[in-house]
Amino acid sequence: MVFKTLLRNIKMNTNGWLFISLIGVAVILLPVFSIFVSLFAEPNENWEHIKQYMLTNYILQSVGLMLFTGILTVMIGVTLAWLIAAYDFPLKRFFHWALVLPLSIPPYIAAYTYSAMLSYTGVVQTALRSTFGFTPDQKWFDIMSFPGAVFIFTLFLYPYVYMLTRSFLERQSGSYVENAILLGRKPVSIFFRIVLPISQPAIIGSLMLVIFEVISDYGVTSYFGIQTISTAIFQTWFGMYDVDTALRLSAWMMAGVLGLFLIERMLRYNRKYSASTSKSSQLVPKRLKGFSSFAALFFCGAVFACSFLIPVIQLIVWSYWTYEDVLTVAFFELTINTLFVAAIATGMIMFLAVVVANVARLQPNRFGTVLSKLMVSGYSLPGAIIAIGVLTFFIALDERMEFVYLLFGYEDAPLLLSMSLVMLIVAYVVRFMATGYNAVEAGFEKVGMVYTHASRTLGYGITRTFFKVDLFLIKGALMGGTILTFVEIIKELPMALLLRPFNFETLSTKTYQYASDERVIEAAIPSLFIITVSVISVLLFHQLGKKMEK
Amino acid sequence: MSFVNIQEVSYTYTSKQPPILNKVTFSIDQGEIVGILGPSGSGKSTLLRLIAGLGTPDRGMISIADQVVVDGQTFVAPEDRGVGMVFQDYALFPHLNVEKNIEFGLHRMSRTERKARLDEMIELVQLQEFRKRYPHELSGGQQQRVALARALAPKPSLLLMDEPFSNLDTELRSSIRDELSAILRKAKMTCLLVTHDYQDVKAICNSEITL
Ligand SMILES: Nc1ncnc2c1ncn2[C@@H]1O[C@H](COP(=O)(O)OP(=O)(O)OP(=O)(O)O)[C@@H](O)[C@H]1O
Ligand SMILES: [Mg+2]
Repeated sequence: MVFKTLLRNIKMNTNGWLFISLIGVAVILLPVFSIFVSLFAEPNENWEHIKQYMLTNYILQSVGLMLFTGILTVMIGVTLAWLIAAYDFPLKRFFHWALVLPLSIPPYIAAYTYSAMLSYTGVVQTALRSTFGFTPDQKWFDIMSFPGAVFIFTLFLYPYVYMLTRSFLERQSGSYVENAILLGRKPVSIFFRIVLPISQPAIIGSLMLVIFEVISDYGVTSYFGIQTISTAIFQTWFGMYDVDTALRLSAWMMAGVLGLFLIERMLRYNRKYSASTSKSSQLVPKRLKGFSSFAALFFCGAVFACSFLIPVIQLIVWSYWTYEDVLTVAFFELTINTLFVAAIATGMIMFLAVVVANVARLQPNRFGTVLSKLMVSGYSLPGAIIAIGVLTFFIALDERMEFVYLLFGYEDAPLLLSMSLVMLIVAYVVRFMATGYNAVEAGFEKVGMVYTHASRTLGYGITRTFFKVDLFLIKGALMGGTILTFVEIIKELPMALLLRPFNFETLSTKTYQYASDERVIEAAIPSLFIITVSVISVLLFHQLGKKMEK
Repeated sequence: MSFVNIQEVSYTYTSKQPPILNKVTFSIDQGEIVGILGPSGSGKSTLLRLIAGLGTPDRGMISIADQVVVDGQTFVAPEDRGVGMVFQDYALFPHLNVEKNIEFGLHRMSRTERKARLDEMIELVQLQEFRKRYPHELSGGQQQRVALARALAPKPSLLLMDEPFSNLDTELRSSIRDELSAILRKAKMTCLLVTHDYQDVKAICNSEITL
C-alpha cells in the first residue's frame, strides 16, 4: 500500500517539466561533481609543493581580505543606511538611490581606474606637482597593495550592506527606535544598542554577498599582485596548465565556502532578537539641523564621490582621449560578442529558472524545497571553481566523444566542446542561475496558487495553464530577473578569462587585457559601456521596485 | 449508487497540527444540491480543494460518477475530473476581461457554441454592460457573479461553490440563488455549496452537512 501510494505520487508529478528540471539541476551540480571526482586521483608534485609552501599564505590572504572588507563594508554600509533611514538632510532623497550606484562598477574596473589615477602620471600626483610644486613620496599612493584591495572592495561592495540594511530599517525598526527615544536614549547609543542588533539578519545576509564577491574576485587581486586561492587557481591553470592542482585548490576553496555557510547558519540560529514580529512599523525620519545636517551631507557626498562620481568622471575623460583609437570595428565585434553570449546564457537561465520554480511550487514538499535549494547553489561558488569544474567535465567529455568526432571525419580527435563557447555559457548558467531563479520564485510567490488552481479546474493541464495564465502573472518578475542576470553576466571577468575560446574577447576580458598591458586609459570605453548597462539596470530596478511596492 | 462518494477522508496541512479533516464520510446523489455548514476554519474550503484535485488527502477515497478520482493508488488530475469550482476569493484572471474569463473553460467547444454559451452565462449573472471590463474594475459582488458564470459555463458534472453569494446584497442574492437553483436542476447538475447562511441551505439545498 505504501509502495503503491509512492508510485501514485511519482506518477502524479512526472512530466516534461520535471525532466527539464532534473537536467537543470544536473547542469548546476556538474562543476562541483567533477571537482569531487577528481579528488580521488593521485596528487602530483606540484600540489605537494604548493601545499607545503604556499597554501597557508593563500588562505591567510583570502581570509584577511574577507575579514577587513567585511568589517569596513559593515561600518560604512550600516552607517549610511541609518543616516538615510532615520534622518532628513539636504539631498537625502538623491542619496537614497545614488548610494546604490557603486554596485554598477565592477571592482576590477575600479581597481584599474584608481591605480592609474594615483600613479606618478595620474591626475592626483600631476595636480599636486603643478599646483603645489610638491612631489610626494610614492609610498603614499601605493594602492596596489593589500590595504589598497581592501579599499577598493569596500568602496564598491558596501552598497550590498547599505541596500539591505536600509530597507530593513525603513520597514521594521520604527517601534524599537521610538521606544528607545521615549526611554531617553541618545542617537549614538540607539545606533549601537538598537540599530546594530536588530538589523543583524540584514547585515549578515548582505555580508555574505560581499564576502562571496571578495572570494570570487580575480581582477582586483591579480592586478594588485595579491596571492589568494582564486589567483592561485588561475596561475596553476594558466601558467602551468596543471588542472589537477587547480582542482585541488578549488576543493580547498569549496571547503572554505562550506565553512562560511555553517558560520552563517550558526549566526542566524544564535540571534537573540527576532525582528520578525508580524507587525512591521515604519521609521519616521527626523530632520537634522545645523552642523549635524552638514556632516551627514558631507559623509554621504564623500562616499558617493569616491565610489562613483570620481571614477566615472575619470573614465569619461579617458574615453574622450582614446575614443579614436579604441572604437574600431574590432571593438564593435567584441561588443556584439559580449551581448550575444550574455543573451544566450540569460535566455537559458530564465528558461530553466521558470521551469524549475514552477515544478517546485507545484510540489510543496521536501522534493520541491531541495530542488530550489540546489538550483541557487551555484551563486555561492567562486567563478574560478565553476570554471575549473566545467573545464574538467568538458575535457573528459571530449575524450569520451573521440570516436564520434572521428566518425564525422575529424582528424585526430579535436577538443571540440572544450574549445567552444559552450563551456563559457554553461559556466554562466551555473553561476548566475540564482539571480534569475530568485526573481522568478519571488514572482510566483507573489501571485500564489489561486489562478493556477482556477485554470486547472477549468480544464487546462499545467503546461497550458502556464502559457495562458502563470506567464502573464509573473511577467514583471521575469523581466526584472532577465535584466539583472544579463548585467551580471556582462560584468563577469574570471570565468570569461578562463573559459573563452581562443581569440574570443568580451568587454570584460578586453578591459582586463588593456589593464594588464599597462594601457588602462584605453580600457575606459569598454569599462564605461559595462557601467552604463549596469546603471540602467539599477535604475530600472529601482523604478520596478517602487512600482511593486504600490 | 450515489454520484459523489467521500470515504474516510483525512487531511493535515502540517504534521504539527491536528488533522483539519478527520475521516470525513458522506455521499451525494446525482442532481442533488448539498450545503456544507461549519464555523470558520473548520476545513470547508479544504474539503472542496480535495474533491477538485487541488490537494491530495492523506487517507481516504473520493469517487465521482463511479470513477475513483483519488485513493491510495490513484490520482486523477484536476483538469480531468470534470469538476467546476467557484473560489472563495473568486480567483478571476486579472489579465483577462469578463468575457475572456467566462470563456476560459470553453476551449473544447466550437466557436459558435462558445459564443452562445457566453451570452447565456452573461445574461444569467446580469453582467451585459460589463463584458469588456477587467476584474479590478468590478465591485466585489460583480466579481463574484463572473466567478459563478465562469465555473458554470463548461457545464461541469459536479459544481463546487465556496460561499458564492457572500458578497451579494439580499435582493441580488435571492434572485441569483433562485435562478441558479433552476439551472442546476434543469441541467441535473450535482452541487456542493459552502455557506455561512442557513437561508441559502433552506432555499436551494436538498440536504446539508456540518463540518
Ligand atoms: N495552506 C495552508 N497551510 C496551513 N494551514 C492552512 C492552509 N490553508 C488553510 N489552513 C488551515 O486549515 C484550516 C481550515 O481551512 P479552510 O480554509 O478549509 O477553512 P474554512 O472552513 O473554509 O474557513 P472559512 O469559513 O473561514 O473559509 C484553517 O485552520 C486554516 O488555518
Ligand atoms: Mg473557506
